[in-house]
Amino acid sequence: MAEANNSLPHFDTRTDVDFVIIGSGAAGGIMARELSTAGFSVVVLEQGPHLQAGDFRHDEWAYDINSELTWSVRQGHPQTFRKTENEEAQPVERALSYAHNVGGSSVHYSGNFWRLRPIDFMEASVKGTIAGTNFTDWPISYEELEPYYSRVDWEIGVSGLQGPWDPPRSRDYPCPPMPVKGSDVLLERAARQLGLTAYPAPVAILSQPHNGRPACTHCGFCNGYGCEMNAKSSTMIAMIPQALASGNCELRTGCTAARIDTDDSGRVREVVYWDADGTEQAQRAKAVVLCANGAETPRLLLLSANSQFPDGLANSSGMVGKNLMFNAHCSVVGLFEHPVNAYKSVPTTRVVHDYYEIDQTMGFYGGGGIDGRHPSRGMPMGLALRGSLFDGPSWGSEFKRHLSQEFTHTAAFNGHTTSLPLSSNNVSLDPTLKDKWGRPALRCTYMDHPDDIATMKFFHDRCSELMSAAGAIKQTGYYAQNGQNGSVHLLGTCRMGDDPTNSVIDRYHRAHDVPNLYMVDGSSLVTSGRGQPTMTIMALAFRAADNIIQAARRGEI
Amino acid sequence: MNGPMSRRALLALTARLAKQSCIVLTLPMVLSGCERARQSAAEGALFSTLNSDEASELAAIASRILPSDETPGANEAGVIHFMDHVLGDGRDDELALLRVGLLELQAMVQQSFNTPTFASLDSSQQDELLTRIESTQFFGTMRFLTVAGMFALPEYGGSADLPGYRMIGFESRHFWQPPFGYYDADYAARGE
Repeated sequence: MAEANNSLPHFDTRTDVDFVIIGSGAAGGIMARELSTAGFSVVVLEQGPHLQAGDFRHDEWAYDINSELTWSVRQGHPQTFRKTENEEAQPVERALSYAHNVGGSSVHYSGNFWRLRPIDFMEASVKGTIAGTNFTDWPISYEELEPYYSRVDWEIGVSGLQGPWDPPRSRDYPCPPMPVKGSDVLLERAARQLGLTAYPAPVAILSQPHNGRPACTHCGFCNGYGCEMNAKSSTMIAMIPQALASGNCELRTGCTAARIDTDDSGRVREVVYWDADGTEQAQRAKAVVLCANGAETPRLLLLSANSQFPDGLANSSGMVGKNLMFNAHCSVVGLFEHPVNAYKSVPTTRVVHDYYEIDQTMGFYGGGGIDGRHPSRGMPMGLALRGSLFDGPSWGSEFKRHLSQEFTHTAAFNGHTTSLPLSSNNVSLDPTLKDKWGRPALRCTYMDHPDDIATMKFFHDRCSELMSAAGAIKQTGYYAQNGQNGSVHLLGTCRMGDDPTNSVIDRYHRAHDVPNLYMVDGSSLVTSGRGQPTMTIMALAFRAADNIIQAARRGEI
Repeated sequence: MNGPMSRRALLALTARLAKQSCIVLTLPMVLSGCERARQSAAEGALFSTLNSDEASELAAIASRILPSDETPGANEAGVIHFMDHVLGDGRDDELALLRVGLLELQAMVQQSFNTPTFASLDSSQQDELLTRIESTQFFGTMRFLTVAGMFALPEYGGSADLPGYRMIGFESRHFWQPPFGYYDADYAARGE
C-alpha cells in the first residue's frame, strides 16, 4: 500500500504533547486538523494503516467478505453479541462495525449527510419522555450547531440543494446535488403520486471539483469502499493532509490504545498503546481527545478502570457504554420492466422526509427518511449471495436467470429511522473472549425498543406503498421485527449532558469526571437522529475543537 | 476486469477533469489498480490447496450450483481455481468442512448410484443428490464459495473474463456518466 509520509514531526513519548487524539476518523481527523493548525502539538494514534486513494479497489472479496477495512475474527478482533443481559453473549464475526484506517469510517461510508433538525435537540420536551428509556433533550440546540454544519459542508465537502422544508442554514451547499439515478426517479414519481416530496439527498461526495479535489466519476463503489478518486469527502482526504502539513501533528498508524492512565489528582497522564511492532509505548500528554467511535471509546474507558476509577474512566454516572443506538432500517425491493442500473453512481440521490416525525396519534415514538438505492449497494457478489430476491431458487439455471434480471432491473426504497436510548442496549467487555492483544472482546447487548420496531414497520409499509406506486412488477420487503444484530451506526455510549449523574461528557465534550479528557465521536450523541449520523458527528467535532482550543488558550485544561 | 476501451475512456475523462482538479495525482495509482486486477491465474494452473481428485469433485458440484447453460457458469468462471486459492488463505475450517462433506457426499453417491465419484453422475442425478443435502453446512459453504468465485476479481484465481459480471449485466468501470439507466434517461427527456 502507499504509506503516506507521516514521519515528521517526531514527538518524544516521555515528554508531554498538548494533545493525544485516539482515532483518526470522522471526528478524530477533524480534531487533528483543528488542533494542529491552531498551533498545538498533537499525536494521533490510529489502529489501522494510512491508505490512500490508489489503494482502494472494487474488490468485494477483500472488503465485504475478508473485512479488510472493517476487521473481524480474521484480523484477530472477534466480538460477542446478545439481545438481553440475561443471555450469554455469543461470538460473532462482527456486531459493531467500523473501518480501521486513517479517516476511519468516513473512508468507507456512503456519505449521506442529512443534518439533524431543531426538533432532534429538544424532542423529549416537545413530545414527552418515554417510560423505561433515557430519551432526553440535548444540552445544545440546532442553532448552536448550525455554524459547524456549514463548516462541514464547505471544509469536508457536501453536495446538495436546500429545500424549503430543510432546517435553516447560514450558507448554501458548496456543490450542487448529484445527478438523479433511475432508482430515485422511481421514488420521486411514486412520492408525487402519493402527495409526498422527494428532494435531492445531501451527500458528502463532490458533484464538482471543490477544495482541490475532483468530482465523482459515478463508479458506484461508495458504501463499504474507499473512494479511488478522492471525490468522497473523508477526513482522510479533507482533513488529515492539512493536519500533517501543519508540522504540529504526528500520525502514528498501526497503534492500538491499551488504556488511558491517570495521575494522583485524577487527571489523564498518558496513553498506553501498542505500536506497529507490537511494543508497548506510553505517550504523555496534557490532554487526551478520545475519538475512537461509539464502540471503542467506551471500551477504552472501561479498559482504563483503576483504583481511582473502579468502574471505568469517566464513568461515575454509570453511563459509559450505555444508550447504544444503531438507528433502525427497513428495505423494500421492487423489480421493474426496464434497466434501473442503480449500481452506478452514489448510493442515493433523493430522500423523502415527509415522515421525519411520525404523528404521535399513531401511539408510538419515531421518525425517519426514505431514499432510493440498489438492493445490494451495487455489489454483484453481494446480491448473488442472497439468492433470488423475489422467491426462487438459490442455485441452478433458474437462479442464474433470476440474477440476470435482478441486478439491473431493481430498486430498493430504504427507510432510515430512530432508535431510543436504553440502558439495556450497550457496549461492555466480554468476560471470557479476548482479542489479539489480549483485551476483553467488545460485547454488544442490543434489542430494539418496541417503538423502534413499530417505526421500522411503519416505514416498511410506507416504502411498500411507494414501491407499488412506482409500478414495481414484484416486490419484497424486510425489517428487523425481532431486533437488529449489529450496525455501523455506533451512537450514544458516552452521551453529552449538563447533569454529571446521567451523562458522561458536558456540552463542550469534556468528561464530567476528568478535566483533561474529551470524548468526541458518535458516542456523544444524545438521541439517534433519523439515520445518517456522520454529518452531526463531524459538526460536533468542529464545535468541540473550537471550545477546546479556547479552553486551552485560557489555560483551562 | 477493465478492457482497453474503458481504460482509454478513463484516460480521456481524466485529461478533461485534470484541467480543473488534482485528479492527475491519483490517476497513476488508479491505473496500477486496473493492471493488478487484470492479472489472473493462468488457466489450468496446478492446484495448491486441493488435490486433483477433490478439485474435480468440487468443480462438478460448483457446476451444478452455477451451471453452464445459455450463459457461462462456474466452469467458465474458473471457480475451482478461486476455491483452491481462498481455501488456502486462512480458511482452514472451511477446507476441513468441505473435505468431510465431500466424503459424506461420495458415500451417498456410492449408495445411491453404485459409483465412487459425484463427477461421474449425470446432471439430473447430481441435482437430485444436491437437493437432498441443500440444508447442510457443506452445501452452504459450496454455494457461498461458488457464488463468490463467480463474482470475485481474477486475482483470486478465477477467470479474467469475469463471465459472472456479463451474466447479470454488471459492467465494472471506474466512471459512468448519466443517464445511468432507462428511468433517469426518460426523466431527463421529459424535462421533469
